[in-house]
Amino acid sequence: MLIDIENLRKEYHLDSIEVAALRGIDLKITQNEFVAIMGPSGSGKSTLMNILGCLDTPSSGTYRFNQIDVTGLNDDDLSDIRNKHIGFIFQSFNLLPRMTALENVELPLMYAGVDKMTRLDLSKKALEKVGLSDRMRHRPSELSGGQRQRVAIARALVNSPGIILADEPTGALDTASSMEIMDIFKQLHEEGNTILIITHERDIAACCKRILLIRDGLITSDTSNLN
Amino acid sequence: MQIKENVNKAIISLIDHKFRSFLTILGIIFGTASVIAMISIGEGTKKQAIAKYQDLGVSNIIIRDKDLTDPELEAVRMKFSKGLSVDDARIIAEVVPGVVSVSPQSEVKMEAKVGDRSAKSSVIGVTPSIVSILNYQTEKGEFINSDQYDRQLKVCVLGAGISRELFSYDDPIGKSVKVEDQWFEVIGVMQPKALFTETVGELASRDLNNDIYIPLSTFNKRIPKKNQFTSEVKQLTVKLSESTQLLPSADVIRNLLSRRHFNNDDFSIIVPYELMKQEEKETRIYNLLLASIAAISLIVGGIGIMNIMLASVLERTREIGIRRAIGGKKKHIMGQFVTEAVVLSITGGIIGVVLGISLSLGIAWATEVQTTITLYSILIAFGFSVLVGITFGYLPAKQASNLSPIDSIRHE
Repeated sequence: MLIDIENLRKEYHLDSIEVAALRGIDLKITQNEFVAIMGPSGSGKSTLMNILGCLDTPSSGTYRFNQIDVTGLNDDDLSDIRNKHIGFIFQSFNLLPRMTALENVELPLMYAGVDKMTRLDLSKKALEKVGLSDRMRHRPSELSGGQRQRVAIARALVNSPGIILADEPTGALDTASSMEIMDIFKQLHEEGNTILIITHERDIAACCKRILLIRDGLITSDTSNLN
Repeated sequence: MQIKENVNKAIISLIDHKFRSFLTILGIIFGTASVIAMISIGEGTKKQAIAKYQDLGVSNIIIRDKDLTDPELEAVRMKFSKGLSVDDARIIAEVVPGVVSVSPQSEVKMEAKVGDRSAKSSVIGVTPSIVSILNYQTEKGEFINSDQYDRQLKVCVLGAGISRELFSYDDPIGKSVKVEDQWFEVIGVMQPKALFTETVGELASRDLNNDIYIPLSTFNKRIPKKNQFTSEVKQLTVKLSESTQLLPSADVIRNLLSRRHFNNDDFSIIVPYELMKQEEKETRIYNLLLASIAAISLIVGGIGIMNIMLASVLERTREIGIRRAIGGKKKHIMGQFVTEAVVLSITGGIIGVVLGISLSLGIAWATEVQTTITLYSILIAFGFSVLVGITFGYLPAKQASNLSPIDSIRHE
């Protein structure tokens, strides 16, 4: 079991008002699943994503990642898990603007303490995989939206993570680019990667094998998509 | 590895923001430069101050006949004191242990003339032994020798200043100078000496470069005494074999002369070495003060770094969020920002050192202030600027590393 969540809750305190973002989520995700999480804005899907990605901690409940109880870990350990086991992809790409594509992809490896030669080697391979071997020395501002997102995917892949978490990965892209990105995800899935995508577009969700619906901080539906 | 990466990244990031980086380190640049310039001015002043005492001889004791008014002088003579004399010199040489030699000298202020040029000067009657005692070096020609002294010849050696005034750039050797109504042949010109700008004990403030030296024998024979009470000699310069016994020897000389002058307080004793040490102590405090003022500007420069770094942390919140999301730990973020601050301050320090050295040289060239650039001032200024960078870079770096990843990645 890759991800095992039981009765997960998250409350925010806005001034004196308590806002419940997640109100008891139970979720299990196994190796090589391809999952879409759908839901209207404010439903709590981004909060769930952040907790799954170890960027945020739950108010209560248990979260086991690879059999490890994540809720008890300190900041450094969480950073390590993010670094080695989770690959993030964001709607707004979140590349560092002053670095080249190659340097952006190298960054997680640098934090992992990988030596320069191995780093270059792995980063080039990751960029080749997303079809950007001719754009390695370009800065993000010199790339199109689709290309930027492909750099972000390469960065997420480069550490061979256990799971790829994508938050609205096609939200800022046109249809053609979106389809390119989804093709990459499909291919990654076929190669054995576990992928979790947050989206509110039906055709994007349709590409996935399992679709979760979230409403008001609860999972309201969990269906397999056999296409 | 990590450090080298950080430094490279920091340098690239600073080059990307050339103008802002320059503004950031401006304070450090001027702080470092002013520390170096201030210390070099202080050191130069100290060197100058010490030089004038070295001219008086660090193993010498100087005894001066006091400048008394006529009634005072008359009173002293009534109480049997003859004033400073050649006999005093002889007795000191015989009685006081460790004395190598004693040189008496007489002085009188007179007008010197060459052709239509004239200048005020001090005519000093000296013995040939003064050369070894006061380390007198001639620039041209020779100093008075014992043959000229014994024969009471009318020869003279000019100070560097008066030689310039009377002869301009001509060679004065062999020419004649008229002092009052007597003619003296110039046989030598002295090297320039450190200026006395203030009175040192009884040693009146005078420009040694305007002295005209003649044999004491000639002085006594040719130069009329001011009045009947004037002492035989104005000054005795006593050279000791070593400088460790200066104060006890000065006491022995004081007692000896007091007895010979029948307890009349008509002479004073100056120990240049002690005055030099005093001066050194004073200038040290003065230098410390100068450097401290400059150091304050360096600290202000550090605050400048802190301000800009804090602004930069705010501006790069999103970058910090991204780095944290892909696995950067607090210590990585911390290291990145501290490295940037240190690279900034080192850059500022280097530019500041160069500017400080140029400033010191410029001051020496453009003004009369003497400056001495010392290695320690460069090391202190540079080291301090780096320290300031680390200290003031720490707070912004700490703030950056404590940002929550989730909040900062959403930051617009």
